[in-house]
Amino acid sequence: MSTVGIIANPASGKDIRRLVTHASVFDNHEKAHILQRALLALDAVGVEQVLFMPDYYGLVERALDGLNLSLEAAELHMDMHADERDSTEAARRFCESDVGCIVTLGGDGTNRAVAKGCNDIPIVAISTGTNNVFPCMLESTVAGLAAGLVAREMVDVERVTYTAKQLEVYVDGQLAEIALIDVVASNELFIGSRALWDPRRLREIVLARAEPSSIGMSSIGGCLHVVGRQDPQGMYIRLGQGNTSVLAPVGPGLIIPVGIQSHRLLSLGEQVALEPAACTIAVDGERQIEVFSEQQVSVRLTNHGPRVVDVQQCMREASQCGVLSMPVGRET
Amino acid sequence: MAEINKEKLLWAYERMKLIRTFEDRVAGLFAEGKLPGFVHLYAGEEAIGVGVISHLTDKDYITSTHRGHGHCIAKGVDVSPMMAELYGKATGACKGKGGSMHIADVDKGMLGANGIVGAGGPLACGSGLMAKTLGTDQVTVCFFGDGAAEQGTMHEAMNLASIWKLPVVFVCENNGYAETTPWGYHCAAKDISDRAVAYDMPGATVDGTDFFAVYEAAEVAIERARKGEGPSLIECRGFRYYGHFEGDAMLYFTEEEKARNRARDPIESFKKRVLERGLLSEEEIAGIDAKTAKMVEEAVEFAEESPWPVPEDVLTTDVYVSYP
Repeated sequence: MSTVGIIANPASGKDIRRLVTHASVFDNHEKAHILQRALLALDAVGVEQVLFMPDYYGLVERALDGLNLSLEAAELHMDMHADERDSTEAARRFCESDVGCIVTLGGDGTNRAVAKGCNDIPIVAISTGTNNVFPCMLESTVAGLAAGLVAREMVDVERVTYTAKQLEVYVDGQLAEIALIDVVASNELFIGSRALWDPRRLREIVLARAEPSSIGMSSIGGCLHVVGRQDPQGMYIRLGQGNTSVLAPVGPGLIIPVGIQSHRLLSLGEQVALEPAACTIAVDGERQIEVFSEQQVSVRLTNHGPRVVDVQQCMREASQCGVLSMPVGRET
Repeated sequence: MAEINKEKLLWAYERMKLIRTFEDRVAGLFAEGKLPGFVHLYAGEEAIGVGVISHLTDKDYITSTHRGHGHCIAKGVDVSPMMAELYGKATGACKGKGGSMHIADVDKGMLGANGIVGAGGPLACGSGLMAKTLGTDQVTVCFFGDGAAEQGTMHEAMNLASIWKLPVVFVCENNGYAETTPWGYHCAAKDISDRAVAYDMPGATVDGTDFFAVYEAAEVAIERARKGEGPSLIECRGFRYYGHFEGDAMLYFTEEEKARNRARDPIESFKKRVLERGLLSEEEIAGIDAKTAKMVEEAVEFAEESPWPVPEDVLTTDVYVSYP
């Protein structure tokens, strides 16, 4: 049976960056509409089953309401915490259920939580977050088609997916967190509202991707040197007054000069020790770990991240293989 | 976020602890039958009121709710006349005529608790319009609950504040229950902050049990308002430790939910974190604990020893405004 898993985060795209930047609100109603289109596409390419994470809004149930689909949809039976643990747990459950592809709705933070549990199930990541480097701004109809094609293996899955890089955060030698895009040491002492937006409060950045066309911390590195999603490199940046300043979009509509003290490229497998200080460590844009001055934090760049569907490549592959074309009269 | 200095941390802990001590004492006094009327207790929501009001001065205004003791204390209203008001005594903040649900102290910018759910929104627009018209930099914060979020008055107020670009910050204290009705049942949107889009203002959701999260969100929202950039909506997710009113058996809470909430006590969380960071000392915390306990006991004593209003005053004064 071809099965697609859906993890849609109702809380994504709602933090206080709506107040300090010009970030859009992704309201739940809109997310349900995005899911509706993805579900219609999954159904159209013959996916037989959808399993989905429960959430406090009931995003998938609302999306299913009024749709007349052939596929079966079932909610995972799991305890809800209404935080990122749900996304990780749902991804783990999908590994036990022979899910062929996972569709996510969220930002970098949501996909980080999914990556912690999904093993090698390919992800189609639709952006509904604030800083979106990992997920793409995709029309969900197309994203759904791609996820269905991958889940049904109608395309060569190896050819249309890539393995993402990952940053591992160690505190006193113990793996404490992972990140898909960036790890940031901030002068803030508390996790607080989680968001980061003021570069003057940041000290060090470690990047898996440094892309000038992205938003957030990745763009700061991208202004210095481009490190793409599949380049076997990362970047370490020490912020502060130096000889260089970059004009980076650190948040939606927030384009400001950021002082660079130094930067260097990292190679895969390299582990960089952060300067010891009381701080918070943010992963993929959200403060996550409160660190004390006597603790040692280091970050390692790996290629052990999740498998990701390149939707454009997938649709091109489908076109070239002819899986979406058929003789007239045999359209089903 | 701007760094919080020690003076502010001491103030925040004292206000939160004073609210909790006051409310716990009021629960006991109500059970003893010493307080007439209803009381709706704020315990559990201290991080919201104190986190927001940290950024206000006496010149700024707040409008409050039926669960208003915490807002009063955070805004600096003296607990002795507050307690006397709950007793219905002549020395009360409103001469004993208002009771728990109508405590006001205009000198402190506290425009009043309110027995009508959702009635604070239009009042906040009024003080916001005043500040805008006079060209002051005063900000009004409108506290309201998840139940009030479904009232027409709040929709009208947020729409009006946006049309007039008023310096008002709408703070929804989503404690999960509108009286006894779960938020998941009565709120179609589920995220109340989503509605900000419809009012053409920015909105965000934060953890209302985390003082620092509320403090950060309120800082930027109040700053926006002060600079004339208009209203915003902050939804603070939290819980209350007592029932909707005292006497509510809270049968709609599971024991598991109660235990989960106890484990997330906003004051204990604040205390643990500032101690771990060495920002405050055990001695300073103990000193505040003792001070707030004394303040509440003195408030009870003051209230109990205070006279009752005389009938002539009750009926003939403070009913109509006299214009010169």
